Amino acid sequence: MKIPPYAVALRIVEQGRTKFRIWFPLFLLWPLAVPLLILTFMATLLVDAVRMLAGHRDSYTRLAVGVLEVVGETRGVEVFIQDKARTFALRLS
Amino acid sequence: MSQERDRILDLLAAGKITTEEASRLLDAVEARAAQPPAAAAPKNGSGDLPKFIYVKVISTQGDNVNVKVPLSLVKAGLKLTSFIPQPAMEQINKSMSDKGMSVDLLNFKAQDLEELIEALREMEVNVDAANGDNVRVYAA
Repeated sequence: MKIPPYAVALRIVEQGRTKFRIWFPLFLLWPLAVPLLILTFMATLLVDAVRMLAGHRDSYTRLAVGVLEVVGETRGVEVFIQDKARTFALRLS
Repeated sequence: MSQERDRILDLLAAGKITTEEASRLLDAVEARAAQPPAAAAPKNGSGDLPKFIYVKVISTQGDNVNVKVPLSLVKAGLKLTSFIPQPAMEQINKSMSDKGMSVDLLNFKAQDLEELIEALREMEVNVDAANGDNVRVYAA
């Protein structure tokens, strides 16, 4: 599993001038996400245990891990949209 | 390799090949799988696997779009469908079917995913519109 993106860069240019520009260090949010992840996994493990007793084999914990993998793989996404008046650029690194 | 092995065993079970022939075929499959990856002939002329899918739209009117998505994200997203519990997957399939997309994600196997990713290596879509716009989708 890859580490999630550590930064996002966003730039909006209008009429040749930079209207909005931000470089945000996403890694600062990781400590905030850890308690949320812990609660999520506790809930999914509990649900999986109950469902397993009921005879179901699906796993919400694996689903949560899969979602985390998808988030990790978003590193490297770049979107660049340009029209006559405006340019929008987003990069996850 | 496991798919080829299964096919050979199916042919043997159906009586279409003899035990000796099946043994020779299995030996050949295992020998090919044991070759290092660099020894395999590259399909697209280079040994490197593509890492990104690029979508580029160049318009004569100044509307340009460039999107670069890691192939591993596509792979992870498709793999995610196999983790979705069955009741939820049925709901998803039903919603997609109501919207006109009759794709059964329940039948999507990890093996199909590997074949899809492999096929994307050689995919290139080039569209030149009459007004000069160009759309290009490729993996590199």
